Amino acid sequence: MHPVTPVVRGWKLLVAVLAVLGFQGGEDMFGVVTRGDVGGVLALLGVLVVFAILGFCWALLAWRMTRFVVTDDAVHLRHGILFRSQRRARLDRLQAVDVVRPLLARMFGLSELRLEVAGGGDSGVSLAFLKEKEADRLRAELLALAAGLRRPASTSDQVLGDQVLGDQARESEVREGQAGDDRGFAAAPERHLYTVPLGRLVGSIALSSTPVTLVVASVAMVVAVLVSGRLGILVGFFPVLFITVASIWSQLNGGAFFRAATSPDGIRLRHGLTESRAQTVPPGRVQAVSIHQGPLWRGQDWWRVRMNVAGYGLSSDGVERESTLNPVATRDEVATALWLVLPDLGVPDPVATIAAALTGTETDGGFVPAPRRAVWVDPLGWRRRGVLVTRRALILRSGRWWRRVVVVPHERTQSLALYQGPVQRALRLASVFPHSTPGPVTPVVSHLDERVAASLMDEQAVRARQARATAGPEQWMRRPEVS
Amino acid sequence: MDDTLLSPFDPAGLTWTRVSPRLVTARLVVAGVWLAVLLVVTVVVAVLVGIAWVWAAPAAVLALLVWVVWLVPRQVRALGYAERDDDLLIVRGIMFRTLVVVPYGRMQYVDVQAGPLMRWLGIAQLQLHTAAAATGASIPGLTPDEAARLRDRLASRGESRLAGL
Repeated sequence: MHPVTPVVRGWKLLVAVLAVLGFQGGEDMFGVVTRGDVGGVLALLGVLVVFAILGFCWALLAWRMTRFVVTDDAVHLRHGILFRSQRRARLDRLQAVDVVRPLLARMFGLSELRLEVAGGGDSGVSLAFLKEKEADRLRAELLALAAGLRRPASTSDQVLGDQVLGDQARESEVREGQAGDDRGFAAAPERHLYTVPLGRLVGSIALSSTPVTLVVASVAMVVAVLVSGRLGILVGFFPVLFITVASIWSQLNGGAFFRAATSPDGIRLRHGLTESRAQTVPPGRVQAVSIHQGPLWRGQDWWRVRMNVAGYGLSSDGVERESTLNPVATRDEVATALWLVLPDLGVPDPVATIAAALTGTETDGGFVPAPRRAVWVDPLGWRRRGVLVTRRALILRSGRWWRRVVVVPHERTQSLALYQGPVQRALRLASVFPHSTPGPVTPVVSHLDERVAASLMDEQAVRARQARATAGPEQWMRRPEVS
Repeated sequence: MDDTLLSPFDPAGLTWTRVSPRLVTARLVVAGVWLAVLLVVTVVVAVLVGIAWVWAAPAAVLALLVWVVWLVPRQVRALGYAERDDDLLIVRGIMFRTLVVVPYGRMQYVDVQAGPLMRWLGIAQLQLHTAAAATGASIPGLTPDEAARLRDRLASRGESRLAGL
């Protein structure tokens, strides 16, 4: 790890102490400062300095205790001061690699490297902080190793050329040829696909529900103050204001300068205003994709594209930031984003199918719709409910005002559930839930005809099995062994 | 339902294995203890307050108890599972029916759990875990032998069919 790490990390305790002091004793501190109480101010500063030193010492110790090793098939991380822990993350289970640069780390030219493996809970490995170049080099190396390539220096596996075919062979030669030092891999070349302009992002945030909340809250605030004649009421509105402003900020911060590219190592996404984030999701790691549109975005034909990746979305914070494939996409970009995840949608005319999925109703585009009697359980949205089974994926369509399309590749179906409540039973309807990994996308197709649902269950189980059998290997640069 | 044979919850050519009826006892004991405590509390309150309509509370608890005693055996009888060549099917519920299909290859790990009451009754619960948290498939009320057999069988089948995520 880079030696400046404790400096960057040490601030966390100071900020936490400041925040606690600010919340708990804000008025007292304010009073002390305004009264010109020199002793009080000095005491405050003293406390802050002590905590700052404590924070830095702790961070320094933590930094000294953190070590990591990258072997051919795993990353080992050892850390902890009082409670030591060692973690081994298998590279063939690698789900995503993120390079995160928080504002402060950026000023020092540092990056955090985050590896997501598909374990339960907080199973990722975070290597913080590394020099930017080192982080980029390490990411290239990890991705190459995870892809099934071997270090040129290691003599154990030199039959690589025989195991890789076609484009991939050329690709690996390029990589090895470009390798800077004896154990390095050059980053896989990438092709730029789309950039979300800042103007469109700002427009999309302006047309979301958050500013509406803000306006309503402000109006309510002004009215409350005018009616009561007391300014004290304002305090009650601070939480609402704070939450909405924070929400707008996180949307802006997370979505700014959003760029997507494709490379042999999978999808690359870069975004972020103060904290920049470069994500790499290897091929076949996206479990499901959802495409949303609220009523306010309809006029602009904007869509938000999100994905489920095992490992992302398990932590409570930053779900939105990590799982976004495109914060505000045009129709063309939706198609591109889908193509990124699923190069072959399994239909003869993908554009028409996507259009039918996004805006179509009933049988448009070959969808199997919910029957007319579903109007009793879903009077507004039943026309939109439908499912399309292609050769490669399941496309689920729903939502009259909040349009929603979910795409689940067959080989990514985890398990399936069929559900029928008493009303559905009387109407001979049933809902199907193709389960996906935890994340923002929850695939469901409600109120299908019960026979359609039952056959969908049966066939989908078979299709998922067949798709898995022919799916690419976990190590995406390796040819699957012939068994 | 005019045509029960073609219910979507009964795929053709499948026989459901039902769980042990001792699960009824286990569930009734647990529900009974809670409801008995609630009943005592409400009765005491009613006696202390001494107003006639307060007795509605213990009456409601009693009604709930009767309903539970009527419902639980039916629920347990509705629980079932079936092993197919490539997946495990679990069905449950009477009014709100659910059928879960879990492919062996998607199973990440299998838990067998048994609390003190369940051990005393000689039953165990099998919990299946896939990469999807939503799966939440479990089979309660298995005999320990059956649970162990199923666990080993699922583990071996899962291994031969495991394909990443």
